[in-house]
Amino acid sequence: MRILVCLKQVPDSTVRVKVAPDGKGIVTDGITWAISPYDEYAIELALEHKDADPATTVSTVTVGPARARDALRQALAMGCDDAAIVVGEASGLALARALAAFVREAKPDLVLCGKQASDDDQGFVGVALAEALGWPHVATVTRFASVDGGPAGSFNGVEVWKEIEGGHEVWRATGPVVLTVQKSAKEPRYPSLPGIMKAKKKEIPERELSALGIDTSAPVAEVIAMQPPPARGNGVILKDGDTAALAAELARRLRDEAKVL
Amino acid sequence: MIAPTGGFWSAGSILLVLTLLGFGGFIWRGWTLFRYLRLGRVRDSDRTDQPARRLRDELVVYLGQRKLLKRPYRIRGAAHALIFWGFLVITYGTTDLLLEGIFGLRLPGTETGVYVWTVDLFAVAVLASIGLAAFRRLFLRPPHMHVALDGYVILGLIAALMVTLLLFENAGIAAGLLRTGQATPPIAAVLPIRYPGESSAVVFYWSWWLHVVTVLAFAAYLPRSKHLHIVTTLPNVYFRSTRPRGALRLIENIEEQESFGAATLRDFSWKQLLDGYTCTECGRCSDNCPALATGKPLDPQKIVLDIRDQLLREGDALLARTDATGTAPAHQLESKPEELWACTTCAACVEVCPVTIEHIDKIVDMRRYLTMMESAAPPEAQRALTNIERAGNPWGEPREARGEWAAGLDVPTLAERPDAEYLYFVGCAASYDRRNQRVARALAAILKAAGLSFAILGREETCNGDPARRIGNEYLWQQQAQANIETFGRYGVRKIIASCPHCFNTIANEYPQLGGRYEVVHALPLVEKLIADGKLRLRDDAGTAERHPVQPAAPNEEGDGQQGQGPLPSEASGARTPGVKEKVAYHDPCYLGRHNGIYDEPRRVMDALSGVERVEIEPHHRERGFCCGAGGGRMWMEEKVGQRVNHRRIDQLRAAQADATKVASGCPFCLIMLEEGVGAKGLREQVTPVDVLELVHDRLIRPPGAQTEARSDEVEHSGPKRGVPPSEGRN
Repeated sequence: MRILVCLKQVPDSTVRVKVAPDGKGIVTDGITWAISPYDEYAIELALEHKDADPATTVSTVTVGPARARDALRQALAMGCDDAAIVVGEASGLALARALAAFVREAKPDLVLCGKQASDDDQGFVGVALAEALGWPHVATVTRFASVDGGPAGSFNGVEVWKEIEGGHEVWRATGPVVLTVQKSAKEPRYPSLPGIMKAKKKEIPERELSALGIDTSAPVAEVIAMQPPPARGNGVILKDGDTAALAAELARRLRDEAKVL
Repeated sequence: MIAPTGGFWSAGSILLVLTLLGFGGFIWRGWTLFRYLRLGRVRDSDRTDQPARRLRDELVVYLGQRKLLKRPYRIRGAAHALIFWGFLVITYGTTDLLLEGIFGLRLPGTETGVYVWTVDLFAVAVLASIGLAAFRRLFLRPPHMHVALDGYVILGLIAALMVTLLLFENAGIAAGLLRTGQATPPIAAVLPIRYPGESSAVVFYWSWWLHVVTVLAFAAYLPRSKHLHIVTTLPNVYFRSTRPRGALRLIENIEEQESFGAATLRDFSWKQLLDGYTCTECGRCSDNCPALATGKPLDPQKIVLDIRDQLLREGDALLARTDATGTAPAHQLESKPEELWACTTCAACVEVCPVTIEHIDKIVDMRRYLTMMESAAPPEAQRALTNIERAGNPWGEPREARGEWAAGLDVPTLAERPDAEYLYFVGCAASYDRRNQRVARALAAILKAAGLSFAILGREETCNGDPARRIGNEYLWQQQAQANIETFGRYGVRKIIASCPHCFNTIANEYPQLGGRYEVVHALPLVEKLIADGKLRLRDDAGTAERHPVQPAAPNEEGDGQQGQGPLPSEASGARTPGVKEKVAYHDPCYLGRHNGIYDEPRRVMDALSGVERVEIEPHHRERGFCCGAGGGRMWMEEKVGQRVNHRRIDQLRAAQADATKVASGCPFCLIMLEEGVGAKGLREQVTPVDVLELVHDRLIRPPGAQTEARSDEVEHSGPKRGVPPSEGRN
């Protein structure tokens, strides 16, 4: 089976995000970038399939600025076979079209995406990619397995475990399909050192977004303002007085200051 | 005595044949064992430097039996020392016996009174010691000693040697076989044995031969038993690591290597394999292991013996396949991951081993394989590694927030004051952990009060790499270390203060491996010096009168358990107003104490504080200090098997009956562990964990105009922010 994982490079979750002066984005200077967490689960799912069936190939692709190569290196270090980057800025529908153009050339049997990116939480690109390809789509996937049958090495579709409230459903796709992946019990693997070293030496072929010949004039919804949550004040420890006085003071504060009573 | 062989052409030649058989058996086996050693492929280059120090170690550790005589092993250690010294003395006599029996040659001095006295006294002392050793094995059942047939065979052979020695001396005297001019063996002479008729000559003849044959049989048996240690300890001590104990072995040119760590016997060095031949199965390492003591699957003795036994079992097969890379499943090492992950690298085993076996290096080498080759570190540990990679701290807190503990304290960064004399390397714990931020603020106030010129790095600081290295990720350690070394270099840093023993140990002992050489001091020895030099003014417990600078106490003798009993310096000088003192127990952090030998300085700081009566957590203090459970990357791993190590530590604190109301340490991870232990045991009202620096800070008299923000009773946030950010993915 040939699997393609589409991934996005996002600010690492340890980064303290600051709103940029224009109020529409964040300050990106000097921050640490990482693979979006759900995309890491997608990679892990693909690599588990490869562990079980060595005939599987796992490729990755990203559309983004040149720094996104680091995310691809990380994916290679984890064990992906190859990686490609489409350099350029695109989002939403245009991004989905760019990926679709890449998928049509690469012809994978299966496309995996994280169910949403951790920076914008839109959950849009995977679904839009399926639409652009005219492929079916299954969301919140936690497991998949090949369907047996047909000539050796051929792709007969996949059975897919899809998480739903309180349980899961099993779906079957008979042809190529886009899966958007949910967090699963198996944590994404930590790259081995030989894996990191090999990944450093691998070629990452580069395409220009403009060379894909796609229509980037998609209808646009854009961020016009960004606000951090209000700063949290310090907690207070009540110390003075006996238990009754402390309880009364606590009740007063909860009622008058916190207004929760 | 006149040898009963009758010269070479009589029975002397027979004795020669027997001797060749005995020592031939020794050399035959010894050669095989030597070839097994060479299966270890890993280069171990730093084993021959500093010959003077190595010779000194031979004198002290091998000949002097120094490490055997530590508490609480003094009596059995003394018994061992007597057997060993007896062996040396009597071996001289044995050589003389053989030379005389075969060739009629004599060694000098063997007929003197001094020599015969020495031999007889040792013969009796050895017999008594053998009796003690047998009694222990039979009736006291040492919990972690391997008591097997081998041990009894060895004791029996030694006893037989002593009995036959005394017997042939006695019978020889009775038979009038003393050489003219030879001094009479004094103890053998007074043994009350009666020989009917002419039988004394017969008894002499047979006991002499029995003695000599036993010696030769022993020689052949030796390399097939754990008694081989009497030979291998000699090289094992000589070639012991001269690295600082706290420094792990560097993997050089790591980017060019293809495999990392130890998965097979061939992945060790010859010295690591020699350790196995040297192990005497005494079990002292196991006696002192905090993991084993709390029911974890780790047994340090088993780690050493598993490797040795596997080498003895598979050595021939490996030698036969010289091309083999040792990857065949049969040659995979047997130590299980759960054993290896249980180690806190506290060095209690290394400290106590009488024959200088290096346990931690083996465990870390095997961890290196698991972590770097197999990515098989426990998931929580991997998360800590990822956090170090991405955020520069194992908690995964924002890099940007690293200097925020100092907000409002007027502590400059090196960028703001590049000419500062000292860099205070704060470390992750004191930067991010709420409890330990108080310690960092206390130290900053102390340094300011002493007028020291210092600065921090703020967000330019990154984790020193200690947890990564000890979890087995040498690569990440090197990346972190290089990043810091580069930053230090940019600012021309020369002197570094660390309040965390792990930062201290790594920067002082391990950064030199990567070319980073600095004058590194832990905060407590520094504060001790500041107090002794009169640079810090401390209140007495009346809160007014100024304290006199403390005279440094004479360094305590190792391991006497007497510390804390003597008068406090303030009492000695009579300067202190009598008042109620609080009893404060000192908990030795492993990376200050055993790894770096810093036992006395923190104690002297405590002794300089009015209102503090230092007490010890007997008997687990100084070299026998018991780990808090956080070392070796254990801070970042779950602890689900057995009792938690820190809970055991609190039990020891309570059992010491010192009635301590505080327990003071000098390590942020110890502090976190002690806090957790006290909380979990519901003892918050009884015992308060603190850092020694906080005790100093509480008594600080600030010079006019100094900042006063570092209050230890500061209002805290409602809960620790550490750990999982709200987003679901990683972390």
